[in-house]
Amino acid sequence: MPAAPRAASRLLLGALVLAAVLVWPLLIEDQFYQRVGALVMLAALSASAWNLVGGYAGQISIGHVLFFGCGAYASLLGFTWFEWAPILGAPFGVAVSLLLALVVGRPTLRLKGHYFSMATIALAELARIIVTNTPILGGAVGVSGPAMPRSVLDLSFISPLPYYYIFGGVLGVLLLFTWWMSRSRMGFYLRAIRGQERAARSLGVPAERYKMYALLASAGFTSLAGSLYAAMLGFVDPDSGLGILLSVKMVIAAALGGAGTLFGPLVGAAILVPLEEITNAMFGGSGTGVTYVVYGAIIVFISRFAPGGLAEILSRLKAWRARHAG
Amino acid sequence: MSITRRSMLAAPALLTGVPALAQGAPIKVGALHPLTGVAASAGNAAKAALELAVELINTPQPDLAAMPLMATTGFPAIGGRPLQLVLADQQGSPSVAQNQALRLITQERVVALTGGYQSGLTQTASAIAERHGIPYVNGESVATNLTERGFRWFFRTTPIGPDIAAIYMEFLKAARVNDRPISKIAIVNENTEYGTSIADVIRRTADAHGLSIALQIPYAANSADVSAQVLQLKDAQPDVAIFISYTSDAILYARTMRAQGYRPPILIGDNSGFSDDNFVQTAGDTAQGIINRSAFDPSRPGSNSFKINALYKARTGREMDDTTARTMQGFLVTCDAINRAGSTQPAAIQAALRATDLKAEQLMIGYRGVRFDEKGQNTLASVLLVQLRGREYVSVWPTETATSQLQLPYRGWE
Amino acid sequence: MILAQVVLNGFLVGAVYALFSSGLTLIWGMMNVVNFAHGDFVMIAMYVAFIAFTALHLGPEFFVPLAAMMLFLLGVVVYYGLVRHVMRGPILAQILGTFGLALVLRYATLWIFSANFLSLPENLLGEVQTVAGLRLEPSRVVAGIAALILTIGLHLLLTRTALGSRLLAVAEDRNAAMLVGIRPDPMQALAWGLGAACTGVAGALIALFFYITPTVGESLALIAFVVVCLGGFGSVPGALVAGLTIGIIESLTSFWIGPAFKDVVVFILFLAVLWFRPQGLLGKA
Repeated sequence: MPAAPRAASRLLLGALVLAAVLVWPLLIEDQFYQRVGALVMLAALSASAWNLVGGYAGQISIGHVLFFGCGAYASLLGFTWFEWAPILGAPFGVAVSLLLALVVGRPTLRLKGHYFSMATIALAELARIIVTNTPILGGAVGVSGPAMPRSVLDLSFISPLPYYYIFGGVLGVLLLFTWWMSRSRMGFYLRAIRGQERAARSLGVPAERYKMYALLASAGFTSLAGSLYAAMLGFVDPDSGLGILLSVKMVIAAALGGAGTLFGPLVGAAILVPLEEITNAMFGGSGTGVTYVVYGAIIVFISRFAPGGLAEILSRLKAWRARHAG
Repeated sequence: MSITRRSMLAAPALLTGVPALAQGAPIKVGALHPLTGVAASAGNAAKAALELAVELINTPQPDLAAMPLMATTGFPAIGGRPLQLVLADQQGSPSVAQNQALRLITQERVVALTGGYQSGLTQTASAIAERHGIPYVNGESVATNLTERGFRWFFRTTPIGPDIAAIYMEFLKAARVNDRPISKIAIVNENTEYGTSIADVIRRTADAHGLSIALQIPYAANSADVSAQVLQLKDAQPDVAIFISYTSDAILYARTMRAQGYRPPILIGDNSGFSDDNFVQTAGDTAQGIINRSAFDPSRPGSNSFKINALYKARTGREMDDTTARTMQGFLVTCDAINRAGSTQPAAIQAALRATDLKAEQLMIGYRGVRFDEKGQNTLASVLLVQLRGREYVSVWPTETATSQLQLPYRGWE
Repeated sequence: MILAQVVLNGFLVGAVYALFSSGLTLIWGMMNVVNFAHGDFVMIAMYVAFIAFTALHLGPEFFVPLAAMMLFLLGVVVYYGLVRHVMRGPILAQILGTFGLALVLRYATLWIFSANFLSLPENLLGEVQTVAGLRLEPSRVVAGIAALILTIGLHLLLTRTALGSRLLAVAEDRNAAMLVGIRPDPMQALAWGLGAACTGVAGALIALFFYITPTVGESLALIAFVVVCLGGFGSVPGALVAGLTIGIIESLTSFWIGPAFKDVVVFILFLAVLWFRPQGLLGKA
């Protein structure tokens, strides 16, 4: 196929997918599925934010819930202390996250492989325990948003649709940013670092500095995801805002779709979240745990047959097509 | 606006409910419980109790005729339509609790929601019910703030923090250790929402009553080892040790106290973990004489509680614990209100809930009755103290309603 | 006197930490594979012990080896069925695969046995003894001693036997090992089997004094991760030292500062060690 029509057909395909993403929630009336859609957007947002440092820079953080929690708590503490609309706390959450990333990032980013992952787990767990034991931060009980919506700024809607579009909009911004980054010098450096950090360093890549940039961008967007989550839910406690399971879910969404690719985390989230919700809706009431057996088995299955995530299957397909076309 | 939409949706269902002969379409009531995750054993106990409740309501139970809906079939005021329970797993996550509440309301078309279990999850799930104008009745979450939110669709049948602290104070002021009043109290609480809020309310109430808490030890419920806490108590020698724990840590404490040879003169284990039949079965033999707070006393033959417990035991092989009983009572109150509403319209059920006036003898649990205040809190909820004898709790306080004599000091494993 | 008891309890708990971390360090350190299902392996071993005791009336002298064998099998099956394939992918694939496996194991157990808490009779190994004023729980003492023997045995196996050097060779460089005629797959399967078998011994011993429930592995797993990392990946003596250290620190912190903060001290210490000695206590640089 010649280059120009191919680019055009790709553009058309992209436009169609985008249109479908924008329109489908309007076509169904079922609020539960609309809400699942909103949660997909939210999970894709945090997994894509994780992807900046975990995928592109190859630094596998399993403590990103630290930043997510910053955002969630900033939103609801702003309400608890000053009666702000929860979303107004978001900039403060981002600020605290950036500060934390700067302070703990320096010593932690020097660690290699599993040591880095473990250090991030330890940091997130530290935050969880400290918040649990600090009454002014809501302690173990957690903090709540406004019980009754006061204005539209409280982002308290009956329909899940506004959440879908708000989360989707922020995700769009993040994807644009990621796309820009991956094509900039930074993206080039990060790929070099992910491939062979030592080699990259010897070629003069300022690895420390670029890893830190990636961490900062990642922390900021993850925090924003936390703020949006808290605004929708109106409640956060140490487990739901700082629990290790959330970090793991960001990682597996990205890993499932393909870490270090632009749309991988979105694809991963679009599979995992509905899978989780639908298995729970189907089997949850039986009280047998079969929900998680099915959910876990599907994850095992994917990792067994496509260890590189679904992106790997896609590239295998492409290679297969190229072989047969040529 | 959402209310009118709901009632329109509910309208077709109403048309079918005319004569008493045919049963008609079932009326769905939703329940959210933790069926997986760390609280799964509590959630599955609630599941068994709710399934029992459905069976009792849908078939005539002359033996339980004192309780509403028991002597008849289904909802007699709505054409005898049967009750259907729609159970959902909230997985211990506030977000999942909301999703499932939304699913039950919009897909399953439940006429009312119940449950929630952890206070934080009850909070988020009931916020969805409030927005959609569906009654939400909670029977087990004790956080005080749940009924302080100005919600119009939220009702709660369980006794809450202040009720619980009050009975402990009454008991502690009357109790004697070696013929002298109690002077030194220690609280050991798990440090999530349940343990922290109960410990706080006990501490505040104790201060107000001139009994001060000498020592408070918060701990994380998932600890693999609790021996340091036990040794701390052994060192401090309090007259009374109050434990506020979940099941896993309650079991560990009982075992570790034995291993470390520590027995306080009075040992109180607050509800949750200590009430769980899992605790009684696996560690009860080493915690003889532990005092617990409960609203459910199945030890009096012939009482509703006794009969319900017997039916539950026949079904599951286990004793019904207090939390499960409170959950079941909340569910039964919901069903009674639906029947009195005579309709599946949310607004009618809400009005019926507001007008609820159940007497003690109409309940399966030891409350003085059920009557809601304007915030939706049951004003007649009450608590009693029970003590472990063998593998059964018997009521020992207040003395006028007790079935057994209080035995002190704490015996533990002897 | 109470302080001595606190330290002793910490030591015994630490020995158990070391025991259930030794299996993890073998798999993790030698093959660079993270096993997120490790806690659930411990849980399975606890159920094996429980069933062997209640249904087959086997005592600990039988159910501990039985658990080791069952877990050895599980380890080998998991290696050939899953791990061998995910190892081809990035580290993320291991997280994905073993996390999924953890959910399957945990909730299949819940499905079969329900969420109820189970436990073995309390004094299976005899009554609590008082020695020089210190109270000793036989089950914990046995678990502690077994932990020491097992970790030392494992260390000797790896460093003093031909099998051990072949295992290490594969761990060091898979391709180089193949060049000298070692087939890596059976070796790695063996490493998984051995690691899981250690976990099985640990689980069966823990069952002697701990409650048993499908989610029990969750709370134990995180501490195992910290122990392995603190000790240095792949270092069996490291896991022993780290386990004992953490046990004693936890116990003292709980006693002096309060149990709510014990993990704060552990994690701060852990981070400090990593930040200043990035290869762990006894790990190779």
